[in-house]
Amino acid sequence: MLASLLVASTPGLAQQVYHAPKGPDGHPNLNGIWQALNTADWDLVDHSARPGLVVADGTLSADPGGIGVVEGGEIPYLPAALATKKKNFENRLKLDPEIRCYLPGVPRANYMPYPFQIFQSAKALFFAYQYDGAVRNIFLKDPGPAPADSWMGQSVGKWEGETLVIDVTGFDERTWLDRAGDFHSDALHVVERYTLIGPEVMSYEATIEDPKVFSKPWKIRMPLYRHVEKGARLMEFKCVEFVEDLLYGDFARKPK
Amino acid sequence: MMANGEIMKIKHIAAIVSAGAMLWAVPAWAHHAFAAEFDAKKPVHLEGVVSKVELINPHSWIHVDVKNADGSMTSWMVEAGSPNVLLRRGFTKTTIAPGTPVVVEGFQSKDGSLRANGRDITLPNGQKLFLGSQGTGAPYDEKGK
Amino acid sequence: MNYRTISALALAFTGFLAAQTPTAKTSSKNWTVPRTPDGKPDLQGVWTNATLTPLERPAAVNGKATFTDAEAAVWEKKSKDDEAKYDGKADNPIADSLGSGGTGGYNALFVDHGTELARVDGVKRTSLIIDPPDGKVPPITQEAKARNAQMMRSMSRFDSVKDRPLGERCLTSFGSSSGPPMLPVLYNNNYEIVQTPENIVILVEMVHDARIVRMNATHAPTSVRQWFGDSIGHWEGDTLVVDTTNFTDKTRFRGASENLHVIERFTRVDAKTILYRVTIDDSSTFAKSWTIEYPFVATKGPIYEYACHEGNYAMSDILGGARKAEAEKEKK
Repeated sequence: MLASLLVASTPGLAQQVYHAPKGPDGHPNLNGIWQALNTADWDLVDHSARPGLVVADGTLSADPGGIGVVEGGEIPYLPAALATKKKNFENRLKLDPEIRCYLPGVPRANYMPYPFQIFQSAKALFFAYQYDGAVRNIFLKDPGPAPADSWMGQSVGKWEGETLVIDVTGFDERTWLDRAGDFHSDALHVVERYTLIGPEVMSYEATIEDPKVFSKPWKIRMPLYRHVEKGARLMEFKCVEFVEDLLYGDFARKPK
Repeated sequence: MMANGEIMKIKHIAAIVSAGAMLWAVPAWAHHAFAAEFDAKKPVHLEGVVSKVELINPHSWIHVDVKNADGSMTSWMVEAGSPNVLLRRGFTKTTIAPGTPVVVEGFQSKDGSLRANGRDITLPNGQKLFLGSQGTGAPYDEKGK
Repeated sequence: MNYRTISALALAFTGFLAAQTPTAKTSSKNWTVPRTPDGKPDLQGVWTNATLTPLERPAAVNGKATFTDAEAAVWEKKSKDDEAKYDGKADNPIADSLGSGGTGGYNALFVDHGTELARVDGVKRTSLIIDPPDGKVPPITQEAKARNAQMMRSMSRFDSVKDRPLGERCLTSFGSSSGPPMLPVLYNNNYEIVQTPENIVILVEMVHDARIVRMNATHAPTSVRQWFGDSIGHWEGDTLVVDTTNFTDKTRFRGASENLHVIERFTRVDAKTILYRVTIDDSSTFAKSWTIEYPFVATKGPIYEYACHEGNYAMSDILGGARKAEAEKEKK
């Protein structure tokens, strides 16, 4: 039913509900390499082009501007949290965890400008991300509350008809939701919905809830596209090596 | 019943094994440079209260607020081992509540910062944290092998 | 070179070893190997490779590839007694061996080398290396020695983060958790396998590495170099064969170069065991190729996140400490 609602509200897509071929577990087959084609990682809300923060990088680090993915247009921050977001934005060169090659958390991992891969077997579900080799093991049986916080959270998945629903909790508070300083606390709770709406397109929705930061739950929504080229594969992107000088350069021995 | 030959062989092995080194040998490159991080000439004795437990890798850090003689407070960070090992024994982020008094014996960070290696972290009931299989302060969780 | 050619060469290399599939059949007594819907042996689950058996055969048991059950029991009991002896103590041989000068280190609690020696075909082994038959790493070439010496010098240098070991930098773990080859380290020796017809992924707990094996694929071009190489797989009967090339020159497995070529074989031999056999080939480093074999044993999960870089406070402490020591030396 969700798929047909989504299709009805998204002009230009086929008017019929898409019934995907089944995977090894008898559910719609999500196996494959997927990627978002938007600027959500730059900024979840509508924004115009912005200059980069590194002069020498010229166009490369500029924000190209983009259409938002937030339902309703705005993120419902509590007043104090909005002030923090603004401070984050002003100091994003120093604070954005992506710049430091820190794990991206959820949902940000899904809309970074790099591919990720879903592995769906008869009895297991696993996500691997090209960015920093981030991983998400999706529990198919709820193991109870997460014993410790983690950057990628604890994911528990189940199927509702043809939609994969993943409930994510146990977050470390240090991830951001985008490069524009949108953030959360350790009370973050994300519910994701993945639905194939065509052989090469998936609808992705995430409901974000955090009573310490937002006045109410809010939703993002976007298509995820399948990599269809022959030989598509994830590359290794171990960016930790590339940020060592940034993080530890000040501690290096200075030549006399 | 073991033949004499076997008994001889076993004694031989026991002798080897009692050298101990083999079972616990860790190559120089295969571990964290504790000696590079902490200073054996700067032992610390901290009595304070846990403010936060960071169950992170590569090593956990326990934040301890120490009240000084003049009433001021100093915040220390005490290093422990990989939390994954602890989680497997039933330890969770709520096992040590903020406000728990602890006594820390350790060695201060070489760079002079308020960080120490937690050689001994003792709870009010005398239990030493993270040292022994029973010492996590949590139910012992038998590893399924 | 496509994978078929590479496998053919690999088979020639490993000679009689490759011809022998593990003698423990994939079905014994009342056990038959569980299969995935596409008919392949199911390797999925959470596994540990912790073992008391060292990589190389200790000098004291030279010439002895296996232990009798009685001998193995002595060894295993000694390990258990030692663990009990060091349990709850701040000091232990590992902390001492760190050269920590008494600043402490890993308590016995954190040591995860299992409770048993590696058992293959019901027999306990004295080394993980099975070829060469002496259970030792083959001689290292001169070129590799120079490369290794460079690395060792750098181990005790603190000029910059780049001088520090890969594990300390959170680039890989200490030792070869992911490899390939995959070898046990001090702790967190946990792996999870998820298997589809097109891909098999091995999640290595430390340091959250997903090794993606592309089934029946061809290798990436030689210009592509990755820390864990590029892995392709295929089935030979009931054995998964994973072929990995395209390493960088930074991986440093035992001083190996970018020419490292690793062939791993995974065979499910019983409900709780995957037999892992791996051949290591790098003629610019090792005088001959060598083979390791030992079991991965089922363990209760889950795999926990091992984020590392995100919490690497120690790095700034280590480098900062070195800078402070230098500054103090200069004052004198």
